[in-house]
Amino acid sequence: MSFDVLFNQFMSGIARASLLFLVASGLSLTFGVLRVLNFAHGSLYMLGAFITYTIWKGLLIPTFGFYLATFLASLVMGGIGIIIEFFLLRRLYARGWPEQLLATYAIVLIITDLVKFGWGGEFLSIPRPAPFRGAVFLFGFPFPSYNFFIILLGLALVIFLWWLVYRTRIGDIIRAAAHDREMVSALGIPIPWLFTWIFVLGAMIAGLSGGVAGPYGAIALGMDIEIIVECFAVVVIGGMGSLPGTLLGSFIVGQVYAFGIMFKPELALAFIFMVMAAVLIIRPWGFFGRPER
Amino acid sequence: MVINQTEQKESMLKRGWWLILLVAGAIIAPHVISDFYLVILIEALIMSLFALSFNLLFGYMGQLSFGQAAFYGLGGYTVAMLITKVNFNFWLSLLAGVGVAGFVGLIVGFFCVRLRGIYFAVLTLAFGQLLFVIIYKWHDFTGGDDGIQGVFPPGILKIPMAYYYFVLLIFIASAFILWRIVNSPFGHTLKAMRENPERTEFLGIHIAKYQLITFVIAAAFAGLAGALWVPFYRSVAPFYLMWIKSGEPVMAAILGGASTFFGPVLGMFIMTFIHAYILGFTHFWPIIMGTIILIIIFALPGGILEFAKVKIKERQERMKSAKGSS
Repeated sequence: MSFDVLFNQFMSGIARASLLFLVASGLSLTFGVLRVLNFAHGSLYMLGAFITYTIWKGLLIPTFGFYLATFLASLVMGGIGIIIEFFLLRRLYARGWPEQLLATYAIVLIITDLVKFGWGGEFLSIPRPAPFRGAVFLFGFPFPSYNFFIILLGLALVIFLWWLVYRTRIGDIIRAAAHDREMVSALGIPIPWLFTWIFVLGAMIAGLSGGVAGPYGAIALGMDIEIIVECFAVVVIGGMGSLPGTLLGSFIVGQVYAFGIMFKPELALAFIFMVMAAVLIIRPWGFFGRPER
Repeated sequence: MVINQTEQKESMLKRGWWLILLVAGAIIAPHVISDFYLVILIEALIMSLFALSFNLLFGYMGQLSFGQAAFYGLGGYTVAMLITKVNFNFWLSLLAGVGVAGFVGLIVGFFCVRLRGIYFAVLTLAFGQLLFVIIYKWHDFTGGDDGIQGVFPPGILKIPMAYYYFVLLIFIASAFILWRIVNSPFGHTLKAMRENPERTEFLGIHIAKYQLITFVIAAAFAGLAGALWVPFYRSVAPFYLMWIKSGEPVMAAILGGASTFFGPVLGMFIMTFIHAYILGFTHFWPIIMGTIILIIIFALPGGILEFAKVKIKERQERMKSAKGSS
């Protein structure tokens, strides 16, 4: 196996890892603060993709329509996040986690049908937007330049989240709340509102990643389940609720997938779960996770 | 303690009469209802067995498995492949289905019982998806996304009515075995581990061993359910192993009441019949199911049977206090 083939595979693994990070970071952030594992995160991602498509179609701006549409879709998803958190999840924090999990599972079912109802079952696609239409040649192999856009966006999100969590006052509160929410509440910080905004941020990230996933793959029913199961692998490998863990997990899963496809395409997904099982045997709480109390 | 036991016996007797009534109803049922609902009834019975296997983990061991469908699907696939590929004996195929599900349960369980709570749920989900992907993609061996068709039960069992009584018999036997398990010292140990793992461990009980045994039993019964369903439906598809399928017993348990033995059965019957009824006029079944789940979670925490139990207890206490005051 020559170096150029491996490098190309590595780069497509990085692109996939970047998209995975976009989605999984929202999932991990929500879990870290709210301690709710949001099954519906993939559904928010799917809904974001479909809404981006519709706005993009309606805007009819050839060049920058896609970027604007993705931005607007992410705002819409934020609004939907407010509805879900305020009317459903908020009433369940006092209950056990199985009921919270089941509630988000119910949202998965509802969103699936809403999408089926609103957009039908067909595959939709958005052409790659300018200036990322063409391909870049890496050692003689064509590599879609749109993948670079996704990689850049992933990096931007890493930096933004790192800045938000480790360099701002809100970040201090987020980390404190993840550690001991009663104590934070006792200090006079309105925890319910913090939870709402974190969930909204997660939903917006989901919408944004769904939007940029459009030109990367196809927009179709089922993309929610496909991504959420991989995201579970990401957060479990990295450690649930940890930002560096999510980054590492995305990298591992993206690379395992990229090289798994080269080795045996049918079992690329199976390899991911094998790696995940292996990690869990060595470190049951993932690389950066903390044991449950 | 002695009084407690006689009280328990009394309540067992009280429970007994409606169980007998239910069984009698189940025996008469196929002669009363239409052929369409007979098929639904068989499905409900098999899915109830699946839900009972799930609730052994969820209700008694206290761990939520989101990958139980993998064992259901494995049981089904084992039967389908043995019957269609090597023309294996039907009865031995059923046993093999249970065996394969139990054996894979042993491997998967070995890893899963080290984890608790949400981590357990996600790991079971991941293993379930792993098995699903393998069967889905391994086209040469399993038929991939085409699944396997033409799985026929032998002789008289091809008639739905006969198959119904066969399933009913196995269901009653399985439910009885599971009932005995959860009410045995083993079952009480499970409940103790659920309530307080640390304290139970201090009593010298090896938690992981107990949980692994439970995991294998649950996997075997889920496999039995799948092995029963596939010859009746005549085909199997990878979808049976998917996490969406795993969600069904979770919903049934929470709908009916996970803290009661028969809650999941009630939940599964309600779900299966609503499903059959709704599919008559719309394909938008998930949205209705999702809404029902949300309503149950908010309006009837603990599930229908638990809610009914609490209400009955309240009434009895009111009557007692009324007697006491007069």
